[in-house]
Amino acid sequence: MIWHLTKRELYDHLNSLRFAFTTVLLITLMIINAVAYLDAHKTRSQAYQQKVSASLDKMRSNADDLYNLVIEGPGNLYKKPSSLSFCASGGEAFIPESAQGGRATWSIGGGRSSLTGVWRMSYPQSNPNLWDIMPDATDTDWGNIISIVLSLVAILFTFDAISSEKEHGTLRLTLSNSISRGTLLVSKFFAALITISVPFLIAALLNLFLLYTSGSISLGASEWGRLGVIVFIAFLYLSIFLALGLLISSRVNHSSTSLTILLLLWTVWIILIPSTLGSLASGLQPTLTREEFDARRMDPFEKLLSEDGTGLNIPFLSREIPATKDTLSWAEYLTEEATVNEEVNEEHVNAQIAQIQLARSITRVSPASSVRYGIESLAGTGFTRHVQFLEQVHRYADEFRAFLIETDLADPESPHAIGPREGTSQKPVHFASIPKFEDRISFSGTYTAATTDILLLLLFFGVLFASAFLSFLRVDV
Amino acid sequence: MFLTLIRRELLANLMTFRFVVAMVVTLSLVVANTVVLIADYERRLANYNTAVQRHAQKVSEAETYSEVEGNILVDRPPNPLSIFNAGLDRRLGNSIHVRHTLVPTLWDTKSHSADNPFLNLFSSVDLVLIFQVILSLLALLFAHDAIAGEREAGTLRLTMTNPVSRPIILLAKYISAMMCLILPLVMSVLLALILFSLSESILLGADDWLRIGGILLISIIYLSVFYLIGLLISTLTRRTATALMVSMVIWSTLVLIYPSLIVFAVNRVWQTPTQLESAYGEIEQIWEAFERERMDFLENDPVEGDNTGYDILKGLGSRGVFEPSDSTTLKYFKAESRNLRGINDDSESLVLHAKAYYQFAESLRIRAAERTGQVRQKALEQVYVRKANLAKNLMRLSPATMYDFATESWAGTDFHSIEDFISSVQQYRQMIINYFHDEGIFSSRQWFASDQGKIDWNDLPQFSYQRAEASTGIKHASGDMACLLLINCVLFMTTFLIFVRQEV
Repeated sequence: MIWHLTKRELYDHLNSLRFAFTTVLLITLMIINAVAYLDAHKTRSQAYQQKVSASLDKMRSNADDLYNLVIEGPGNLYKKPSSLSFCASGGEAFIPESAQGGRATWSIGGGRSSLTGVWRMSYPQSNPNLWDIMPDATDTDWGNIISIVLSLVAILFTFDAISSEKEHGTLRLTLSNSISRGTLLVSKFFAALITISVPFLIAALLNLFLLYTSGSISLGASEWGRLGVIVFIAFLYLSIFLALGLLISSRVNHSSTSLTILLLLWTVWIILIPSTLGSLASGLQPTLTREEFDARRMDPFEKLLSEDGTGLNIPFLSREIPATKDTLSWAEYLTEEATVNEEVNEEHVNAQIAQIQLARSITRVSPASSVRYGIESLAGTGFTRHVQFLEQVHRYADEFRAFLIETDLADPESPHAIGPREGTSQKPVHFASIPKFEDRISFSGTYTAATTDILLLLLFFGVLFASAFLSFLRVDV
Repeated sequence: MFLTLIRRELLANLMTFRFVVAMVVTLSLVVANTVVLIADYERRLANYNTAVQRHAQKVSEAETYSEVEGNILVDRPPNPLSIFNAGLDRRLGNSIHVRHTLVPTLWDTKSHSADNPFLNLFSSVDLVLIFQVILSLLALLFAHDAIAGEREAGTLRLTMTNPVSRPIILLAKYISAMMCLILPLVMSVLLALILFSLSESILLGADDWLRIGGILLISIIYLSVFYLIGLLISTLTRRTATALMVSMVIWSTLVLIYPSLIVFAVNRVWQTPTQLESAYGEIEQIWEAFERERMDFLENDPVEGDNTGYDILKGLGSRGVFEPSDSTTLKYFKAESRNLRGINDDSESLVLHAKAYYQFAESLRIRAAERTGQVRQKALEQVYVRKANLAKNLMRLSPATMYDFATESWAGTDFHSIEDFISSVQQYRQMIINYFHDEGIFSSRQWFASDQGKIDWNDLPQFSYQRAEASTGIKHASGDMACLLLINCVLFMTTFLIFVRQEV
């Protein structure tokens, strides 16, 4: 019986105007997405390779002297582009693509000479798109196609599912058969789900086909796996709105009232709430201001200046072995300065991340945010991915630092006071032995990050479907 | 009869459930977002004020005129009307270096605050966006059953049996629905203004009130477009359900999908032309020529006496050389700052050489900078501005975008206003150069040496920027406004003609 009912609904849907609209819209959007990303991945991978090799070349030229490596550090570290960026661009325009490990120099004595410190990691502090004069827009990636278009379509298919049958009296007729109300609701749900999934799947496959045959992406097992989960998320999200549509439709008596409520709800919940709450919540946890940040970064330097009151006196440094007390203390100062500075940088970026994380958790009251975040994590783009990148950078920085100390210790001609030129080994370093940074997209990490969002979506679906079911049971026919 | 009709329609619209819901939703969103946006504006204003102080402090730290060149930074104040339409006000750089060696452009701006860069991941919801999305939806909800609904219920036939002409019916429907739409709009703006007045940092001038009035006016025109679209659909369809469905499809396409799609496609498909590369090459040549002339001058030092050459100044103090280059923004210049502290009686004779050199080199530098500025402006405009204009013009097929752009111009947060700021920075640069010329600073000792005591930096021309008057905003908004009005007329005429010939 349930199949019979579903079939009836299906025929109804397939013949309707909205089905044609859905199909045309989804296919158009997916084709535009595919065309736009045709060579995006290739060019971005090439740019990434170029930047990485430029950075490595610099490191190679620094490797003729360990001291150069100590002051220059590993250079810029770049984030690897994801092959699934067409699924979610993840606000790439607002997220920096690199972290800098580089030198620091201060001018001292009123600019007469300069002082070079030990390398430290720093993170870009401003929006990379300060002169982008293009109008604001949301990207047409899978994430937005799913979160905006699929939910709207779901509403268009369910707003009259029960209320119009009530209006026309056919509901009473159907229920006079030996059909339970539950069966009727489930069959309506499945009919709508199937009707929407067919054009969605066709459009998605068309999109993948275009991207795949043009050779712009190579899809391996892991990509297929992640795409599978993305499609699963899409269905889950679609189901939420089908359940919502059924709920409202069974509560009201006129289909136009039902559509009005649903549209207003949809606009607020999907379009406006994510941004409003995001801006609202990010005010809850302000980060350091520029003055505070600069002051804290210059802290160790200022301390050194004020110790003897008059100004900075660099002690006499020599290349004696073992290192003299002056050389050792100066080396200690330089190392500490770099450490403190890097800690402040790190703390600042962590505070920024915490601010965004909090705002993101709050925006998850809208399933549109959940679905976007989930797809972003799976596609390996966006904010979650950036956090993972920064973690890798952090680990690598420690590794690089340990390598410098180790190499210095291995040189018998060095006083082992890393920091000033006089205290550091000046032997060439074998380039191959230097640890290199390679950004990896960790797959277990992406799935874990997406789990929260999937569970949240499941919860939304459970609650809405249960309420739709209960309210339909109590409907007066 | 006309009034009776209007009254009937008004009541029918006002007492509906959708009106109440839409009103509540709009007002609560407006209040919530205004609070957030005011807080955001206050933070930006505080950032601006500290930046201005910091930059003034930086100027006073310079000891020679050539050093101050790298220290003059001017800032763009946030625009309070960005609460209505944020436009580019919030996102673009707001701090810019003023040097005689570089004609400043938008592409040289930096951000003066160290705000969290990731915050831009959450797009801002300004008041215009709320009107654009929610009230246009409400307009369509009012319109979809205006004709089709009455036809279904048979009341249209009933009304027509009275001595009332069809245009009157249509006009009554239009006027009463517009009154119902203006109500939440005006209330929202009033609420926002009340919240403005509670905040002490927002000071609105007479000009700003005119601008707010303009935004209100264009909002009404915009809502009328959507009501008429709905009315047209309603006359064309037999059933309300179909009318509503078609309206929603059109609404979601025009308001949400189409504008974003255009920006996305233009961003992705637009290839950066080779103009940038050729312009960059041209600029490099300008500066190579500058460098050659400079070296020529140093070799044939015109000051009589011992032919020491220039490099002997080395060791007398600090010399800063800046040669930044960026091929994507075509930033390229060569600057030099000097602070000779070690001048003693032995090296005093060199001062003459230095004076002659700087007098020559700096005017040469300014000429090179002007020429670079021309090449650069042209290339950047052809590459970036044309791309943005292409996207904007394509987007204008949607009335929602026209509304957005028109309010941007009214609020003064559009590209023209940013350009306006940049050109006032360029004028300020010219003022400084003129001041330096008039006072003979390029050829003075204080250009490169600080041994004659501190310079009084208060004599330096001060930067002041006033937002352009509302009339410029009107000028830039007029195209979009006229277009929206035209659409209104066309829609009304079409609806009228179809309705008049239709069977009831």
